[in-house]
Amino acid sequence: MKPLEFDDVAVRLGDRVIWSHATFEIEPASITAVLGPNGAGKSTLLKVVLGLIAPSEGALRVLGAAPARGNPRVGYMAQSRLADSLTSITARDYVGLGYDGRRFGWGRSPDKHAVVERALALTGVTSFADQPLGTLSGGQRQRVALAHAAVFQPDLLLLDEPLAGLDLAAQAEIVDLINLIRDTTGAAIIVVAHDLNPLASIVDCVLWIARRQVRCGKVDEVVNAAVLSELYGHPIEIFTTAHGRRVIVGLEEEFAHPHPHGHDHHDHVHEEPHAHLEEIYREETS
Amino acid sequence: MSFSQLLSTSFVQNAFWAVTAVALAAGAVGYFVVLRRQAFAAHAIGHVGFAGAAGAVLLGLSPIVGLLVFCLGAGLLIGVGGANLDDRDAVVGVTLTAALGLGVLFISLYSGYANATYSILFGQILGVSTHDLVIVALLSVAVVVAVSLTYRPLLFASVDAQSAAARGLSTRAMSLVFMTLLAVTTVVAIQVVGVLLVFSLLVAPAAAAEVVTTRPRDALFVAVVVALFSAWAGLFLGVAFGGPVSFWITAIASTGYLAARLAPPRRHERRSA
Repeated sequence: MKPLEFDDVAVRLGDRVIWSHATFEIEPASITAVLGPNGAGKSTLLKVVLGLIAPSEGALRVLGAAPARGNPRVGYMAQSRLADSLTSITARDYVGLGYDGRRFGWGRSPDKHAVVERALALTGVTSFADQPLGTLSGGQRQRVALAHAAVFQPDLLLLDEPLAGLDLAAQAEIVDLINLIRDTTGAAIIVVAHDLNPLASIVDCVLWIARRQVRCGKVDEVVNAAVLSELYGHPIEIFTTAHGRRVIVGLEEEFAHPHPHGHDHHDHVHEEPHAHLEEIYREETS
Repeated sequence: MSFSQLLSTSFVQNAFWAVTAVALAAGAVGYFVVLRRQAFAAHAIGHVGFAGAAGAVLLGLSPIVGLLVFCLGAGLLIGVGGANLDDRDAVVGVTLTAALGLGVLFISLYSGYANATYSILFGQILGVSTHDLVIVALLSVAVVVAVSLTYRPLLFASVDAQSAAARGLSTRAMSLVFMTLLAVTTVVAIQVVGVLLVFSLLVAPAAAAEVVTTRPRDALFVAVVVALFSAWAGLFLGVAFGGPVSFWITAIASTGYLAARLAPPRRHERRSA
């Protein structure tokens, strides 16, 4: 049984097609990066898997079944914006809410303590578990968010931009932690990101969403000049630095002239410039 | 009449049980008001209640009937229309002003004695009848039981709506549950402190609790204790020294919040970059 199978899936929000003809599979214990411009529908893909958005066409199987809201075998970490209301909650309580936050009534679960402690230990949160989230650093908070998402040791773990807003050292720590969670729990992990490079060492597959299309495959099968050129409809070049980082040139045209060859001219997907190149430039020069 | 005799009179006895019931409900629900940053909604529902009470008086009904109808209506409206954070302030504001306009109309149509209006605005704790007391006590107990049964989902939806939704919890349903609890609590709190001072029991104790605690259960407990202390001490001071009880309650609850903020910092200062 595959953790995730998409068969010709399309998603529509209102009368707007977000993407269509998505057909791919995710292997158990694999890590998949979801890449593509802002607004391309990366977070939407996660919401389809969670059962929060129904596909308009096609079918998908999540852990062998139709997607269902609240499946404890599917973990989810939302794009991190630490809400005001979260700042006064301790890490332990927040992870505890991941365990039984949806349960009504007075009853207590006998194994809650053990399950929460296991998640705290796995993610390296134990030493600061009793501090309010508002006092933690960005990297520490992401660890807590991972503990919250992975508290049930899910078979499929969906992470929306877990590296956003972190400095390079913290990014590397979170990447190591994602890899550790995969190795320890055997979960298939899907990571939405805006840059492949920090994740490249742990990623097995890439899902690239652009211009309402989805491409999936091994890293080199997708992140290569021919595939991306075809996907974007204009020439794209990829250079690899001495450190193995990929620099992708040609995506910026997408923003100067959105969809020059698009078939759908009333399209109004907002796309912001890729952070890609500037960030790589900063990394290489700092 | 000596002070001890005064304390044993039936209107002071009724007042004691009424403030106790109200403080329990207001402290508990107030914690979620502060956590969800919905003080504006709490404020608005109180004022909407004013219109309801004025309308009930105009029709010759008990004010509490009008309070319940209007506060629950406004709570559901805000709960549905304002479930999305972006729309919330506008929905609350429009509901508030529309109801206040109605309240003005009802008062202008009412030709009777204006004392009823005054007590709705500023509270009438020493005039709580045994009949009112029973209603207040039942509603407060219902609120406290409902908070204890919905505690975890309400907390989850309040602190992290996205994750709660992904776990299969309907954040819209929880928003409705919360607004209903808030509406009923506002109705009972208005009996004690009035529309204009409803914040003193609903927001000040919980805000103080949120500053001095880090765990939700502790915060809920401290909010209830601060609300109870403010209510009891306020009633005692009002009876002992005169002056409106709602003034004393407000003064004590606000002082409690101020003291919590001025106390040696527990988390605001420790916040790291």
